[in-house]
Amino acid sequence: MMFVDVLLTVLTVAFALLTVFSKKTVISAFALLMTLVCIGGIYYQLGSVFLSAIQVLVNAGAVAILFVFVMMLIDLEKYPNNTERSKIKLIITVLTSLVSLGVLALIINNNIDTITVVNLSDSSMKALFDRLFTQYYIPFELATVLLLAAVVAVVVIANNNKQHPGKE
Amino acid sequence: MLELILETLIKAAIIVGLPLGSIPIILVVERRGAGFMQKRLGPNRVGPFGLMQPLADVFKFLFKEEVEPSHVRPFFYTIAPLIALVVAVMPLAVIPVAAPFDFNGKTIFPEVFHTDLGIFFAFAVSALGSYGILVAGWASNNKFSMLGALRACAQMVSYELSLTTAIVAMIFLYGSNDIHSIVAEQTGYWFGFLPKWGFFVQPVAAVLFLVGIFAESNRLPFDLAEGESELVAGYHIEYSSIKFAIFFMAEYVHMLVLSGLFIILFFGGYSLLPGMELLVGDSALMLTIMQVLSFIIKISLMVWFFVWVRWTLPRFRYDQLMMLGWERLLPLGIFNLIITVLVVHFRNH
Repeated sequence: MMFVDVLLTVLTVAFALLTVFSKKTVISAFALLMTLVCIGGIYYQLGSVFLSAIQVLVNAGAVAILFVFVMMLIDLEKYPNNTERSKIKLIITVLTSLVSLGVLALIINNNIDTITVVNLSDSSMKALFDRLFTQYYIPFELATVLLLAAVVAVVVIANNNKQHPGKE
Repeated sequence: MLELILETLIKAAIIVGLPLGSIPIILVVERRGAGFMQKRLGPNRVGPFGLMQPLADVFKFLFKEEVEPSHVRPFFYTIAPLIALVVAVMPLAVIPVAAPFDFNGKTIFPEVFHTDLGIFFAFAVSALGSYGILVAGWASNNKFSMLGALRACAQMVSYELSLTTAIVAMIFLYGSNDIHSIVAEQTGYWFGFLPKWGFFVQPVAAVLFLVGIFAESNRLPFDLAEGESELVAGYHIEYSSIKFAIFFMAEYVHMLVLSGLFIILFFGGYSLLPGMELLVGDSALMLTIMQVLSFIIKISLMVWFFVWVRWTLPRFRYDQLMMLGWERLLPLGIFNLIITVLVVHFRNH
């Protein structure tokens, strides 16, 4: 099983790098899809089988497909790449990456003793939702409120047709 | 370890080989069935009753020249049929054709991949099914292909929602996502004659699921991805010879997989057909054989149903399709789900 774990980790990182560094947007989108599928595989290896199914079903099967869909529809290859590289942009990029990496490292370092891989395979769905609906209930609800706000915003923006009179 | 690998290989060979091997038979049924419905003969010249016709078709596809147009994107053009076929075949791994049985003092699960995911695995993998079509349409670099692929993809994503509400309602009802316990719940009779099939408890979910599988497998009346009168042939215009055939194989396997899931959720899976108990007696071997036979009979009836619908209903218009999916089926599915959850809650408390 060790071999599968290592393979999945290597694949995930490789596809994630390809997502960021590929010049062609469609290849980036497919690399993102493969990253999501591989993360689903890692969840499975860790024993959280329900989460792995949801990862593939929702993220790879629905979210990533919309990215691919839009990229194919507008066919970005026709437009010249935005190759303008300003120094400010570079500095901001590096700073943001370093700060997020630092925060992540800090969180992991502070909690390294409490992190344990729980084998949830007996009834992973039950174990997952026991935690989600008790201990982590407020963050869960806040996340749903955020999603709702995003949906409302999209509807408002899409319906903003006042500058085009005559259209529904 | 060696024993496990051997067991998995044998099961994989049978479970993948059988559906792929049955595609020629489905083709005969489809073409002769079309003839039967339209009061004509259908292909009846090759072999007895035209049974050898698909063999001739296969050899024709194999020996035709493979043309790769110069304007395609070669890498994606080549892998698209493979994505379609692999994704279509993978859900077969969790579909059991019989109950677990003892062999040489060991319990053998008749599905290749025995996992706690159960039915979720099949749907998670099926959700990737639209990628094969999308990649094919985009890689062909042809406006008709692209339109066909975008239509197919939008259609599959839309109908997946109402399909999922039906599945979740059934999982609530059976209280498990393990396929063997879902089938066990449906074994037996009410009032001594009515089989305990999910169809009789949840007819609404069954109809939602049935419409959903027609849309998911891109069959008439929802075959807008191909739409000959509008799109020439949709996403596979630029494909020739065996690559073209692989798309068709993928479509038929997808159809078989979805029929299998429909039967598991609503028609008792491999549980015996009414009256078959008399044939079984006490023999465990006989029970397994009869279960496999029941499953095959149910699948065959589903395939005939697909053919029947194909030659009965005309194709939907695209806006009608989207309206049916989003404005009729999805609200109905959510309503059905809420009612089911309430009923299950009050039954359990």
